Amino acid sequence: MSRKLIGALVALGLGASVATAQDYPTKEIQGIIQWGAGGSTDTVMRSVTPHAEDALGGTIVMQNMTGAVGAIALNHVASAPADGYTLLMGAENPMLYKIMGLGDKDYSEFVPINILARGTPILVANNEAPFDDYAGMMAYIAENPGELRIGSTGPGGVPSVITAMMNTVEGDLDVIAVPYDGDGPALTALQGGAIDVMPAVLGAAIEGIRAGTMKPLVLFDTQASDKLPDVPAVTSFNEDYATYLPWGPFFGVFVPKGTPDDVVAKLSDAYAKGAEHPDFVNLMDNRGFTMMGISGDEAEAFLTKWQQGTAWLLHDAGLTKASPEEFGIARPGE
Amino acid sequence: MDPEFRGDSDHHDGTSDATPGGYAEGRRPGELGFALILTVASLYLLYSAYGISGFTALSGPGAVPMATTFVMVMAAGIVALRTWRLPRITTETLSRDILPRVVILFIGFLIVFGLLLKPLGFVTTAALFLTLAIKVLARRGWGYTLAVAFGSLIVIWIVFRVVFTVLLPAGILPEAEFIQFFRTFLSGGAS
Amino acid sequence: MDTLLAILTIFAQPELLLLVGAGTFAGIYIGAIPGLSVTMAVSILISFTFSWDVYPAISLMVGIYMGGVYGGSRTAILLNIPGAPSAIATAMDGYPMAQRGEAGQAIGVTTVMSFFGGLVGILVLALAAPFVADFALTFQPRDYMLLAVLGILLVGSLSTGSLVKGIFAGAFGIAVGAVGRDPLTFAERFTFDLQLMEGGISFIAVMIGMFGVSEALLQLQNVNLKSVRQKIDRIVPSFGTIRKYLPLSLQTSSIGVIIGALPGTGGDIAALMAYDHAKRVTKNPKVPFGKGAMEGLVAPETANNAAVGGAFIPMMTLGIPGDAVTAIMIGALFIHGLNPGPMLMIDRPDMFWFIVGALLTANVFMLIFGLTGIKIFTKIVEMPRSVIIPLILLLSIVGAYAVNNRVSDVYWMLGFGVFGYFMRHYGYPLGPVILGVILSRLLDDNWRRAIISEREDLGRFFEGIVTSPLSLVLFVAVILIFVSQTPLWTALKIRLFRKATS
Repeated sequence: MSRKLIGALVALGLGASVATAQDYPTKEIQGIIQWGAGGSTDTVMRSVTPHAEDALGGTIVMQNMTGAVGAIALNHVASAPADGYTLLMGAENPMLYKIMGLGDKDYSEFVPINILARGTPILVANNEAPFDDYAGMMAYIAENPGELRIGSTGPGGVPSVITAMMNTVEGDLDVIAVPYDGDGPALTALQGGAIDVMPAVLGAAIEGIRAGTMKPLVLFDTQASDKLPDVPAVTSFNEDYATYLPWGPFFGVFVPKGTPDDVVAKLSDAYAKGAEHPDFVNLMDNRGFTMMGISGDEAEAFLTKWQQGTAWLLHDAGLTKASPEEFGIARPGE
Repeated sequence: MDPEFRGDSDHHDGTSDATPGGYAEGRRPGELGFALILTVASLYLLYSAYGISGFTALSGPGAVPMATTFVMVMAAGIVALRTWRLPRITTETLSRDILPRVVILFIGFLIVFGLLLKPLGFVTTAALFLTLAIKVLARRGWGYTLAVAFGSLIVIWIVFRVVFTVLLPAGILPEAEFIQFFRTFLSGGAS
Repeated sequence: MDTLLAILTIFAQPELLLLVGAGTFAGIYIGAIPGLSVTMAVSILISFTFSWDVYPAISLMVGIYMGGVYGGSRTAILLNIPGAPSAIATAMDGYPMAQRGEAGQAIGVTTVMSFFGGLVGILVLALAAPFVADFALTFQPRDYMLLAVLGILLVGSLSTGSLVKGIFAGAFGIAVGAVGRDPLTFAERFTFDLQLMEGGISFIAVMIGMFGVSEALLQLQNVNLKSVRQKIDRIVPSFGTIRKYLPLSLQTSSIGVIIGALPGTGGDIAALMAYDHAKRVTKNPKVPFGKGAMEGLVAPETANNAAVGGAFIPMMTLGIPGDAVTAIMIGALFIHGLNPGPMLMIDRPDMFWFIVGALLTANVFMLIFGLTGIKIFTKIVEMPRSVIIPLILLLSIVGAYAVNNRVSDVYWMLGFGVFGYFMRHYGYPLGPVILGVILSRLLDDNWRRAIISEREDLGRFFEGIVTSPLSLVLFVAVILIFVSQTPLWTALKIRLFRKATS
């Protein structure tokens, strides 16, 4: 028993003597992934973190903590000590928790370590759909009100933002939104004909497009992607989209506010190096993601801008539970 | 015999079968109370399900919950009624056959385990639990108890914490430092 | 020729062979321990095998997957605690056999039948993958819904006690599955405004509580009972036995492959459906179901291992995961620089055939390890109960926590354990609760998708069912099974039977 006690004391002493940030990290770091195993956040985080570990010289143990659209993981990390030993690995949606009534915390409680990459939304259709481009789809909706089935992933998801954008720019569209729990299952349903059109992230749809199991309609960006040069940008059909684009979901690593600056700097540095690794760059490029790799003020500014634009877009489309104003989210351009 | 009862009449206490216990033609101590609690709880859940989205749409998030809690209320009601009509079994008592002291003690252990898991951490709580539980059940010396408890705890800890990196609540023990210490130690030795 | 070479890659490199073997061995133990899941192991392997080549990484994962699905049966037979969800049905007849001292025989049959099921799954994957994948894609939301209803009707065959109690348990399970934020609209359901409830109740926590904790609590009452000595002489089943169950195992394997290939359903549902099927088609079992019928072991075990091959079908041909494990494997392929999707079969056919080869090898290893390690395993049941009960309780706690790293799941697990204890005492079957939780999302989500797609119009909904051949077949099956379970049918049958004899 006494030997165990001594062991514990030694370990305690070790912990105490190295608590200064200079030697960070002295113990394992926990990385809490907001989404389930096998999802795109999971894949991105699991492929960048080993490179970041090398740069950091520490161990980052990654755990998936799912539930309540990621709010459980966010709250978990927010309430963890701000010592840099608990990281949040998440996607864009916490920025909408407040206005969607899903929680009272968002990334404003966190310091961004690195916003790794951004996805580009693309509108894809079932091969049997009676139209081949964006203009054709609009004509079809006008002729057949309430017949087009468009996939969605719940309020605040990428499809809901894209649909809100379309409603704002084109006027209200009479379509049926069929909910799925993620773009993977929705794209499966698209191929089986259960839905006609799906706004998805380019990376999730690209393999299907290449193989011809679904057809691309339009890219939600200001210019075509070099991955799919034949797919036109939506701004070529309607200039008004330019107000909202480029827009896309993103992946980032965060720590709770109050984490010592030098710890944040070390982590930012490690993830910046990790994100530059050719393997990771290659992977992201293959999946059609746009590398960002920003941190510090630049990342904060990006988050604020993203939140303002998206929150007001959704609010104006009548999809929110509470006005962004209540949470001090300013209308973009104000 | 009741044609409704398709169970195993030899093992009515539920211990000897993957299928449940219970008698077909008698009511066990506490059985009626249990059936009534289930009925009341089902009613409350039905009310709660109605509160989700009411009768707004067939596709509402509350549609399936309402249907399923309605079935629960009906089934629990029928069970309660049938149980009420059955004669009570006189050879059994609640404290001997349903809730003996050792079961209450262990349920208590588990509740305390749940409460202490976060503040004390997994390793400490599990060590306490295993020691007490084995001591109570095996009624053997402390040497045996501690050896078995700590031996198995170490194996479980290594499998879950080290191999499967499950981040069990650390509590008061500086677990992460400990592992990192050994990790640096090992990698230092290797290089 | 290239095909054959790709399949044989694995034998040409002893290192790969070793990895598949090691994976299968580890998988059996991972599967056997309640709370350690294949999904968890494979996602940890992603980081672990990060710097490896793609072949060794996949070899290890395939081994763990195959071994894990099989390993779940071990604890189900020996302790009445399914190590994995796909082994729930196995406990129903496996445990009674262990209680008679026939654990060795039960494990032997399970192993050989798992091997057989696995083989059927792999064969279908190798020979008919594109065809099955196309078929799986044609399932519309309403078909998934009908499939879920069909599954829920299994309550009838899982309720060995009173049927009304079984119906209650099944409905309760569906309600439990709905707890938390609704994944489609994010509305709160049964959360009572508690943050603890928002994440919902993990299905694994319910399973571990109901089977593990309640079983341990029951065993407390006979802690001093001598444990049953296990006969382990007759492990490998005779050829006659295997031949006898061949027709049944072919049917249940087909159920397994199809359910496994459908995105969103996996080995757990396949095993339960197969069990139900066996109960329906077996006219005169030597031992009644629920008391140690061999058919009750053969059906779920062939089906859940056949579902492994099935799950790879949409993954390899379309890049769509057949279940949680294949979803992670798709992630692993991405990380290793491949692009899983419909083009994979065309760009890298070697990858497809390599996986087929790895699965075949894992299946053989499963047979070898399954038949050789039985002695040590059966020793578990011969351990003193005073030690094994606290250990089961502790493992249940760790296991429930490990699913989502949430303490609230531990509370749920304990709560369901105590509730399950009372349910067992008062004759409420536990199987339907688990069935309800498993099927809850499948039923709820797809019902809503189906009715939303038809603009909330029930008329259009039924029109859709009648005009689609697949939906119609499922619908008729639902009606037939439902009628066969109602008292009306039993009464009719008795009357007809009397007429026939008199």
